[in-house]
Amino acid sequence: MGNISDEVKDKSTGDNELIYKYNRELFYHFDKETGFTQEVDYQNPNNQVIIKQSWDAAEQRLNEVKQLVIIGKLSPIAYYMEKILMEVPMLAAYMEISGWRVRRHLKSRVFKKLNQEILARYAAIFGITIEQLTKPDFLG
Amino acid sequence: MVKLEFEHRQAGHCESGVTRNLLNYHHHKISEPMAFGIGAGLFFSYLPFLKMQHAPTTSFRVWPGQVFDRATKELGVKTSIHTFRNPKESMDKLNAVLEQGYPVGLQVGTYHLPFFPPEYRMHYNMHNMIAYGHDNGNYFISDTLMENLVEINYEDLKRVRFAKGAFAPQGRMYYPTYVPKDIDIRPAIIKGIRKTANNMVGIPFPIIGVKGIRYLAGRMRNWEKKLGPEKASYYLGQVLRMEEEVGTAGAGFRYIYGAFLEEASGVLNQPWLREISFEMGENANKWREFSYLGSRNCKKRGKPDQSYDFLADILLEVADREEKIFKKLATIK
Repeated sequence: MGNISDEVKDKSTGDNELIYKYNRELFYHFDKETGFTQEVDYQNPNNQVIIKQSWDAAEQRLNEVKQLVIIGKLSPIAYYMEKILMEVPMLAAYMEISGWRVRRHLKSRVFKKLNQEILARYAAIFGITIEQLTKPDFLG
Repeated sequence: MVKLEFEHRQAGHCESGVTRNLLNYHHHKISEPMAFGIGAGLFFSYLPFLKMQHAPTTSFRVWPGQVFDRATKELGVKTSIHTFRNPKESMDKLNAVLEQGYPVGLQVGTYHLPFFPPEYRMHYNMHNMIAYGHDNGNYFISDTLMENLVEINYEDLKRVRFAKGAFAPQGRMYYPTYVPKDIDIRPAIIKGIRKTANNMVGIPFPIIGVKGIRYLAGRMRNWEKKLGPEKASYYLGQVLRMEEEVGTAGAGFRYIYGAFLEEASGVLNQPWLREISFEMGENANKWREFSYLGSRNCKKRGKPDQSYDFLADILLEVADREEKIFKKLATIK
């Protein structure tokens, strides 16, 4: 699982400057004179602002969760779950266990007692090793 | 190894584009707006209880899969549609169908789609694309969002076909098996218009159709007070993302629908539909104005240019316009 949020952040935006130029899409337009027309172009700057908004919000959430993991309130699972933009019901679906079990695993007290098999399944979903899961680099 | 002769064409909306491109492969020429209109794809609903990316969901379209299902059914096209529990089985079936010479529509999640634009790679499970061949564990893909043809490997394809979460695709694959030679599309157009008109003005439920737009306007007026400026701006951004992105071709499908009405006017020889298509075009421009002003608010966060009341008033205006349009459309014969 890649660090997509890393790829799209770090790009500052000025007025009317395009942030995302990976692919041009098809858009429709309407004008009384010309009727309905189609055009292939990048998403316009205003819409790019609102795409960026949701990535910024995700990054902010991730930082908040990171602080809670550092002070020991949440387990690293909470951090990696946020990192791949998941919430508990979706992670539970990938783990094929119930939501309340995932919610328990978010407590660092419970996390410390998890067996290797469960840890390995989480690590596989997050695309990391068990070592990275139990000792994220920001914990030093 | 199999690689079918497949013409890749971009589209505004993934599912309508896939439907058009698949029918096109079977020699039935149809435009994207036509596929969208006959499939009765236009809709509106605001679902405050269903959160996506931490904000309520706004939808401008019908349930995923309905455009293909309806359009092919109304046109008398025979189709084959499968979902699976076992991922391996789903991949075997895909290979077998490709080898029989049918390109296949696939519903996939976008988070792990390697060729997808990075800025769109969120957990969105309602994307559609076409597989038109495979070679040695590599699949040839036509994705209507992308400018060019793309490829994906076996493991990645399996993963995106079995993405989990809301609207999980469960390996859904679909393809036309028989397309009649001479199709009279006129009855299908009329049925499609009636269905959409009913969805928009005929359902007595507050969060659906034109009523849904008014409901959203009402909620929006209280966002700032209830949620604070940061979260209000995020909620607004979510509405705009659903309206302008994730393959709507702009203004929450209102442009595509207008183009459909214009084309329908010619096919049915009913000039009044052309006038309505222009009203729909104006209405789409109003939606775009809403998203333009809204995005200014999102940019400034705490200090909005326009009050939420002002934006809600625009929504009330488009609701009135759409009510007028669809009440007229409901009378089509």
